[in-house]
Amino acid sequence: MRTDARTPVIVVSGFLGSGKTTLLKKVLDTPELSNSMLIVNEIGEIGIDHKLLERSDDQTVLLDNGCMCCQLRGDLQALLVDLGMRRYRGELPSFDRVIIETSGLAEPGPIAQTLYGDGPLARDYRLAHVVTLIDPLNPQARAAAQAIADAQVAAADLLVLSKSDLATPAQAAAALDWARAINSYADVIATSQGNMDVALLADATPFNHPAFGARPAGGLFGDLTAWQEGAAPGGAAASGTGRSNPPMERNGADTPRAAGQGSYLARQRSGIHPPDIGSFALRFDAPPSRALFDLFMSTLLRLRGQDLLRVKGIVYFEGEPDAQLIQGVCHIYDQPVVLDRQAGEPGQSVLVFIARNIAREQIEDYWRSLRRLAGP
Amino acid sequence: MQNTFFPQQRNMRLLSQDTLRGFGGVGEGIAMQCLADGRRVLWLAHESAPKNFTAVDVSDPRKPRVLIQTDLPHANVRSNSLEVSGNLMAVAYQVSQPGLAPAGFDLFDISQPENPRLLSHFDASAPHSRGAHCLWFVDGKTVHMACGDPERVPRNPKDDQVYRIVDVSDPTSPKAVGGWHLPGTMEGDDAPPPKRLAPAFDSGFRAHNTNVYPQRPDRCYLGYLDAGAFIMDISDLAHPKPISRFINSPPFNGFTHTALPLFERQLLIVSDECVQDNGGDWPKLVWVVDMRDESNLVSISTLPMPPVEIHKQRGGRFGAHNVHENTPVPGSWQSEDIIVCSHFNGGIRAYDIRDPYSPREVAYFVPDAPAGSPVGSIQFNDVFVDDRGIVFAVDRHTGGLYALEMTV
Repeated sequence: MRTDARTPVIVVSGFLGSGKTTLLKKVLDTPELSNSMLIVNEIGEIGIDHKLLERSDDQTVLLDNGCMCCQLRGDLQALLVDLGMRRYRGELPSFDRVIIETSGLAEPGPIAQTLYGDGPLARDYRLAHVVTLIDPLNPQARAAAQAIADAQVAAADLLVLSKSDLATPAQAAAALDWARAINSYADVIATSQGNMDVALLADATPFNHPAFGARPAGGLFGDLTAWQEGAAPGGAAASGTGRSNPPMERNGADTPRAAGQGSYLARQRSGIHPPDIGSFALRFDAPPSRALFDLFMSTLLRLRGQDLLRVKGIVYFEGEPDAQLIQGVCHIYDQPVVLDRQAGEPGQSVLVFIARNIAREQIEDYWRSLRRLAGP
Repeated sequence: MQNTFFPQQRNMRLLSQDTLRGFGGVGEGIAMQCLADGRRVLWLAHESAPKNFTAVDVSDPRKPRVLIQTDLPHANVRSNSLEVSGNLMAVAYQVSQPGLAPAGFDLFDISQPENPRLLSHFDASAPHSRGAHCLWFVDGKTVHMACGDPERVPRNPKDDQVYRIVDVSDPTSPKAVGGWHLPGTMEGDDAPPPKRLAPAFDSGFRAHNTNVYPQRPDRCYLGYLDAGAFIMDISDLAHPKPISRFINSPPFNGFTHTALPLFERQLLIVSDECVQDNGGDWPKLVWVVDMRDESNLVSISTLPMPPVEIHKQRGGRFGAHNVHENTPVPGSWQSEDIIVCSHFNGGIRAYDIRDPYSPREVAYFVPDAPAGSPVGSIQFNDVFVDDRGIVFAVDRHTGGLYALEMTV
């Protein structure tokens, strides 16, 4: 039995023209996702995306005339609180989840951060996952605001390569290489005309990556060099069966590529790899004490919060039987939530970082130092 | 004033609704029978005549199927409560006027659920008795119940139903073995009559739920309406003795209904019952009580209720009533962390009490008013959760049986 009863919030991000509205129009018609409250953010003075979606006013809210990640964050907070209260009072139809369609120029990180940074919101809502669409046809468009496009990919738990029916293999591979170089921990799927396995969208979680599964060999933080170097397993989306969108193979070839080769080729080919954003997973060889972990996280967030685009993990604290889910964006992280697991599953703690200008070694050294200082 | 409301659900999903062949008014008796052939049958006691009880095959909760529905002998008797222990079922009978019959309970052999076979009747009829309102029967041997007693004549007719214990180890020949009433309520008592609540809220000093669990077979957790809840020492079944009492009224408005012990947590969950429409007796609550010292019961919180200013407008009753009671029988869900409640038009609501000082609501389900509802709202009367996590809830008037999936 899951004990986190908060309403999940899915953030759907992607650059201008990446296919967000097309995708949402399709998936919101399905039984799995129809009972969703949709919040659409458009920067223009007259929003039209929400009209394209053809949903009732009770199920769709437009936040227009500003960007949700900057000018309208307060409005988003107020809106979510109001929606929750009206649902509780029976003044609105019930909704099982909230889907936020960001504007093409919004960074999803600060939007997700909004959920954690506000007490009443964090009590009622939880960030389910961030989905980012990528248009493989038009890399030039995002090059105009590359930092935003990079941040959208960095924050994602699920990357959706849209327009796969129109893209050439070379275009798809280039887009994938760019995305993988930034974020090697997101699942990746390909879609066309917004057709995708909705279960993948409904059930996606920040914690379904193999990094949170089997216990690998290795000591402190384990040996995850391959992932750190960018050769992500990329196969988490295939863990279910019967899904219509197979996970993308990042190299598009039959034989696996050697660790590290992908990011090198991506740099050579696309020339747009942002060297400052990277992702890596850290494993703890023993359950950390909660106090030490809190100190570790709070110092990290205070010193480098602006560069921690995403932190997520499953942590077993010393002396506590249940795993805790950890999620953070920038300066804030959500209250740890108990993860109900079957007895006998591996109990190793792991944290995934997607960060700007932070090397894995720095984090490792910092944790080791803290541990030494704390004593045995 | 808002007069229309949307149905509400959060972390609960409707699997099916069955209006029970048009007799969808169900009381507060829901019990599950797990048959050797793998079937699960839910037995439901109706709220009022003409129907007595209904058996529903809920092996697939998405497709419930009525197996049998029985009739009462006349319009002035109701069953309201039943329990199942193995292939035995006890059904309570309460009459509308003292002196009528049948008043007491029946025992049935339900090994073939399509053909319940009457084994015996325990007669509690008397000029001052309305018979049995609520009973507890989980060990196959003993019925604990709130029932009139021919040998106890109440000073006030509202106080007729006392705590009674009946040995049914021979199910063809039930034998009364003991009982207890609030001192001062019966003729001949040394104690003076207890002070009654204000007339608008005077429901009487009567027994209601009489829960006994295998973890403490020497204890009965007794709801006693306006007298509060008692922990009873029943090590001598012939002479139950109160150990402690939790009382909230006055200043609250009485009608203590259920006392559910959580043995590992050393907590007692005490529910009131709302008995007036449109918020007339608000607040009726569910209380979390610390029973680490069973002789000194201390309330530490109440389960948060949805907004009264909304629900008192929705029609009918709104407030606490039944809770899932961790019934110690096969097929019943057991939880000391999640409490599932039926709050009349407040719907079915589930609470996480892992922090007992700060309970949190984690799920709810409030459907539209069922067709034909005389009060214009759902009136969830009782709830039972099975060990598959399926929540079965019943409407008091017309809606019948709702099967819900809880996703927390």
